[in-house]
Amino acid sequence: MAVKEVLLYPHPALKEICNPVTCWDDSVQQLLQDLVDTMIDAGHSVGVAAPQINDMRRAVVVDVSKSKLGKKQENHGLLQMVNPQIIERDGQTLVREGCMSVPDYTGNVMRAERIVVQFQDENQQLQVISAEGFEAIAIQHELDHLDGYLFLDRVSSLKTDLFRRK
Amino acid sequence: MRHFALTIIGRDRAGIVSEVTGILYQLGCNIADSSCSILGGQFSMILIISHPEMQNQTTLSEAFAVLEQSGLSVFLRTLKPGGEERPDLQGEICMISVYGADKPGIVYRVARELGDRQINITDLNTKLIGEKEAPVYVMMIEAILTAGMTVEDVEQWMTALKNEMNVDISVRSITPLEL
Repeated sequence: MAVKEVLLYPHPALKEICNPVTCWDDSVQQLLQDLVDTMIDAGHSVGVAAPQINDMRRAVVVDVSKSKLGKKQENHGLLQMVNPQIIERDGQTLVREGCMSVPDYTGNVMRAERIVVQFQDENQQLQVISAEGFEAIAIQHELDHLDGYLFLDRVSSLKTDLFRRK
Repeated sequence: MRHFALTIIGRDRAGIVSEVTGILYQLGCNIADSSCSILGGQFSMILIISHPEMQNQTTLSEAFAVLEQSGLSVFLRTLKPGGEERPDLQGEICMISVYGADKPGIVYRVARELGDRQINITDLNTKLIGEKEAPVYVMMIEAILTAGMTVEDVEQWMTALKNEMNVDISVRSITPLEL
């Protein structure tokens, strides 16, 4: 059990591409637990990615079930994802996102509405799940961290964008 | 550190931002928050700037005189200490879209409904669109609801206004997803 410090940009770890987990030792279990503890400690945020706690392995945790918005939608509860990969995307939705690693700023980001994601769970079992709504957005956001992308890299419109399209 | 509010507006053309920020850079000014956009045919810039040593705006005014000669209007104001600090606004953020045939009072009536209830407007854009013969007015408002207020409350007030003004109004929550 350890709550880790959530790194803030411009910490370089947030712009790195993370490495696949190939060696399943105790440290993987420890990392997942740290991610969960950190997520819960941060006012039960809906997800944390390993690089946010300075671990450069491809692992994230997501849990939208405790959030006001997530509760209203179907979701998978706590997801502990190692080597996750989005294998299908469908639909587009514009959402305003914020990130614990980039405080005091939000931006409109285009995300897939529905995704199919495959990953290894905490028991090293391969899982394939489909997610939609807030959960799908949260997964896409956390997985971006594993490739060094922040929502700032994905902002697709200014607030006034509506008026710019002709 | 002293902060200043700088507003620049003038007929849009390429190079305005470069000229303005060139002057600021030469003077050693920092740009904190800023928002720049085309309104009508005018490019307008609103910036909060600071300088580590500058105490009054005389040097700034002098430096920008050259821009005024090129047809841009420059307004400058020295902020009171603390005037640069963004208030910590808590509460649900909602977006209100208002659109309909152009008529006087659309902005005022909607803003009054919000202002009377102490709802803080944090962003507002309006645009006149459509055909010349049948202009349509579009307004987008971002506002922060006060404690205990819901989007449904706002919807209710707006429904009354919608009928009175004969415009379309929709309200939705855009509180950012904290991830």
